[in-house]
Amino acid sequence: MAVDQLSTTFSALADPTRRAILRRLTQGEATVNELAEPFPITLQAVSKHLKVLERAGLIARGRSAQLRPSRLQGQALKEAADWLAGYRGFWEGSFDRLDEHLRDIQRGPRG
Amino acid sequence: MTEGVTSQEITISRVFDAPRELVWRAWTEPEQLARWWGPAGWTNRLETITMDVQPGGTFRVTSVSDADGTEMTSQGMYREVIAPERLVLDEPAEGAWHEGAVSVATFNDLGDGRTELVLHSTIQTTHEMRAGAEAGVAGSLDRLAEHLAAR
Repeated sequence: MAVDQLSTTFSALADPTRRAILRRLTQGEATVNELAEPFPITLQAVSKHLKVLERAGLIARGRSAQLRPSRLQGQALKEAADWLAGYRGFWEGSFDRLDEHLRDIQRGPRG
Repeated sequence: MTEGVTSQEITISRVFDAPRELVWRAWTEPEQLARWWGPAGWTNRLETITMDVQPGGTFRVTSVSDADGTEMTSQGMYREVIAPERLVLDEPAEGAWHEGAVSVATFNDLGDGRTELVLHSTIQTTHEMRAGAEAGVAGSLDRLAEHLAAR
């Protein structure tokens, strides 16, 4: 179900290190070593984070056994962003039109 | 409904330069609602609108995208109707992206010909969605998505 997939995605995104990893990957694919560099954590911990991100569909990893570079998968991220922005966006957009409509009908019978 | 369902609150407010009675009617008359329901780029045909504005009455609007004809249906049941002050709408989980939602629209007369509309929604979601939202993911996600779209 879509809701289950979203749950997994959000669970993965709830961690600041994982979000930082995703941000780094917007610049292009990277190996575990490259990803670990800016963080005061072990390679093992980074690998764990990558596994969570992969399971959530947020990244894909190469087949090569040693390097396995990670890259961003846009679709899951987009769905998560849409979910959060969607509700507010719907209403803000509707209120813009309601504002216009109320101006129109007060302007006179032509409205 | 699944285990681990929790709720998330969203409040959106706007001041309209119109008396309360007028804003209330724009919300409760199908001919008027058809002209503003949904963001720009969506059209509501009057014949697709069902609005039985009384407690227990049905609400249903099908909006059509001007761009590609995609249909989006909003539906629910009026739980409370207190003209011209308060409207409470229950939205079922079926066919929706959430696990059920309750929206309360409050129409505040500002006394100077303007009306403040406050929409408060309580949305049933899973714990994970809430954790993500609370971590302030929304902003950074939007930027990431924008970045991806720009590439």
